[in-house]
Order: sequence, then C-alpha cells, then structure tokens
Amino acid sequence: MKIDPTKPVPPVVNRRIGPDQVPDHVPKELIRSAKLTWGPEFLADPYGYMANLHHTYPPIWYDVGPFGNVWALIKHEDALFALRHADIFTVEDATPFPRDPNDYFYFIPIEIDPPDHRKYRLIVDPVFSPQGVLKLEKQIRDLANELIDGFIDKGECDFPEEFGRPLPVYVFLDLMGLPRAMCGTFVEWAMDLLHSNDKAIMAETMQKISAYLKEAIAEKTAHPDDAVISRIANATIDGRPMSEREIFGMVTFLFIAGLDTVFATLNNIWLWLANNPDRRQEMINDPGNINAQVEELLRVHSVTFSGRTVDRDVELRGVKMKKGDKVMSALPVCNFDPDVFPNPTEVNFHRQRKIILAFTVGVHSCMGAHLARLELKIALQEWLKRIPDFQVKPGTRIEYRPGAVIGPEELPLVWK
Amino acid sequence: MPSITYIEHNGASHTIDVPVGEHVMHGAVYNGIEGIVGECGGGLACATCHCYVDEAWTDKVGGPASQDETDMLESTAAEVRPTSRLSCQIVVTPELDGLVVHLPETQY
Repeated sequence: MKIDPTKPVPPVVNRRIGPDQVPDHVPKELIRSAKLTWGPEFLADPYGYMANLHHTYPPIWYDVGPFGNVWALIKHEDALFALRHADIFTVEDATPFPRDPNDYFYFIPIEIDPPDHRKYRLIVDPVFSPQGVLKLEKQIRDLANELIDGFIDKGECDFPEEFGRPLPVYVFLDLMGLPRAMCGTFVEWAMDLLHSNDKAIMAETMQKISAYLKEAIAEKTAHPDDAVISRIANATIDGRPMSEREIFGMVTFLFIAGLDTVFATLNNIWLWLANNPDRRQEMINDPGNINAQVEELLRVHSVTFSGRTVDRDVELRGVKMKKGDKVMSALPVCNFDPDVFPNPTEVNFHRQRKIILAFTVGVHSCMGAHLARLELKIALQEWLKRIPDFQVKPGTRIEYRPGAVIGPEELPLVWK
Repeated sequence: MPSITYIEHNGASHTIDVPVGEHVMHGAVYNGIEGIVGECGGGLACATCHCYVDEAWTDKVGGPASQDETDMLESTAAEVRPTSRLSCQIVVTPELDGLVVHLPETQY
C-alpha cells in the first residue's frame, strides 16, 4: 500500500504467534522452530548453528515461535530476491519496535518505498555515502588510537566496554551531533530495546528515547549545526519543510540503527582474532588485502536479520506465500550458503568476491554500511599494529544472550 | 550475448558476455571483477557501482538515466567525470555489444 510519509497510519497488524496459529496454506512438513536468536542450541554456538542449518533445515521453512511466525529464507539467492523486490516483500509492519498507535510515526527511510525513499536518503547521503565517510577516516583513526592508549599498558581490557562500544558509538554520536557523555545511557536504551525481548520494557524504552530525541530535535531546530540531527530537522522535501512526525521518525530510526550493530560485529570479530593467532598473523602479513579481509570477516560474522511482509501472493522455490505472511531473511545464515560460498565456514581472504548479506541488499540496504566497513577496517589496522598478539583471558566462558543482534556478552582480552 | 569489457584502475581488462536486459553491474559482480561492488544490487542506494563509460561509447550509452542517478553519482568515493555512470543503471542491449567501461580506483 502506498503510504503518505506526512500522515502516519498504523498498519493493520496480523501477527501469528506459535504453532496454533499456522495458516492453512502452509504445508505441514515445512513447519519448524529453529529458535534463531534465542534457543539454547543457537546460543551455545550461534555461527556454527546457523551454518549447519543448510544441512538440517529445508531452504525455506515456516518458523513458528513466541516472537511471531515467519517464512525463514536461508538461501542467498532467495534473500537477494526478497530484498530486491520491495513491491512483493514490503517493509510495512516489518520493523519490530513498538510504537504508540495514537502517536504513530514511520521509521524513515526504511519504511518508505521509492520514489519518496530517495528524497530522504538525499538529506543524509552527504554524510553516509562512500564519499562522505572518507572524510571521517582521520577522526576514526585518532579515536581508535586514543582508546587503545587507555588500556594498552595494562596488558588487558574489557573489549566490549573499552573498545567495541566506544569506537562506533562515539563516531555515531559525533555524526548525529549528540554528546559523547550520553553514550552509556544511549547504549542502555539500545540494549533494553534490542535485547530485552520484553514488550513492556521495549515500549517504556521507546518512550524514554522519544522524550530525549524530541528535546534534541527542538534544540537543533533552534540552533542548527552541521551534524545529522540538525540536517534532518532543517531539511526540505519537495520544497516544503519536513513535518515534525517525519523528522522524529527519521532521527529515531538512525538512533536505533546506529548504536548496536558495529559494536556486536567488533565483538564477534575480536573473539575470532583472539582464537586464531595464525590467521591474525596472515592478516598482518598482507596489509594490502585489508578490504577483502573486512568483507570476509563481515560475511562470517553478520549480526542481524531482515523482516518483510508479503504484499501479494507469491511462490518462491515452489513454496506458496500469501499476502500478509511475514518473511525473514536470515542474513548470517545466507552468508554460509554453500552454493555461493564453497566451504562456507572457512574464513578465506582470497575468496571470489560475491555480494555478502551483512548489510542486506536492495533499495533498503544499510545506509551505514560504508561507515561500518571503514570503522572495521581502521579498527583492525590500528589494533593489529599495536596489539598484534592477544588472547581471551584464560578461564573466560564466552556466552551469548538472546537478542536481535548477535555477539558475545563478555570478551576480556589479555596480552603481554 | 553482448560482450562488455571492464578495465580496472590498474589496467587489468576483463571481457564478459552479459545477457541482454541485465545491467552492466551484474556482469562484473558475478564474475569477480573487483572494481565494482554493487552493494545494494541496483537499488540506487549505495553508489558503489560507479564506472566511467569509454569516450567512444558515451553517445550510445547516454548520460544518467534519472535525476536519482545524478544525485547518487554525487555520493561516489572516486572523482565524478562527465562520463560517470552507475553501472546498475545501464541496461545491456544488443547495441551495446563491445561496450568498454573503466572502473574507478575505489568504490568506498
């Protein structure tokens, strides 16, 4: 359905939850429950579990569970198809964060389809485009080194707290024009929203975020600067100022999107680096191949999933899906598709380059992808230069907790 | 099938047969040519399939297909030239058999 971004209307939600709510058109043999992001087998070894789904599950199945029933797509080809056909697989009612139906807003631009989509992207493209993020290189490099300065002499660090979190979050807050001092509070909100798996906590957190951002927007409207919130607050669409709802929806979406994903990705990759000294050395010995290294590490450590709603009846790989069905592209699983990435669990920095699904594809592919790649590249370069040899602190048990973004909870590192 | 020649920044040249109706980007992405990334898969969302159309072909290929493409070209990492196009917006036709495109040093 074509939506008017200036007049937000809550979509008609038709959620099905659990095995008792399976529609008739779903064949019995395709009903499964993989418990992605929360089952004990998943949490014991998320990436091993996800890679193995290509052997233990059909290419498409109807996943039933407490967070909603969805068609799960794990083939690379199927995810590309779904994500590139926004006319069939729409973003309507596909973003899981709760909103007040009486004070509704759209997450912009992810819930806006072309042609309007591009108008919103234009507002922030100067910042997040390949060209835009290149201007941040020195700033990110300096920050990475400042953080390393803070703990290198101790011979150990709490990686998520002292590097994984502040690096991307400080960069993001600087870009948005928000104070670094709020980092801790913002991250707490992101955790409650993305990891609590509790609707009441999620709703309460959305309210806190809303109240804070409304004030920030008012401030930036009165006192414009060069940062992203100000750009959005003072932007025009088709020659008219953006409405208060549009501004709020766009700022809120960027805020939610910017806090947790690179953090989790860094934690995943540093765990792998710590456990694979030979491969670490291989990277250090081949600095010219850094872009391929970043791409391959992103492939095997993708952190999130992408939901859509079927907008008209469609058949995919012989499976009939009906209007209103939910679809989830299991991005990290698709990145282990053996038909596209032979020997998929092997980290191979000389793999033939294929599209990876870390950032989705299609019109709604991640606008932060270029920033994320740059942050990861710089983090790897600066860290490996200064702390080439490190390991997980002996005695540590690596644990994953349920949540929409995958990464180890604790990651204490030590070095000599 | 029309054949398209992709010349990378370092001079490496690849000639690929690309089906009519596909985009110039796909020929590169599905054949491991490093100079084109094509992150968003033709969604006009990423500006990572930037190419320079060879001077001999600019008349046949034409300029940007839409205002959106023009806008996105301003986001590319490498320098924009009069021959710049997003390769996801160039549809392969029989008339483009022999097309030569040059790839920039970087896409991001």
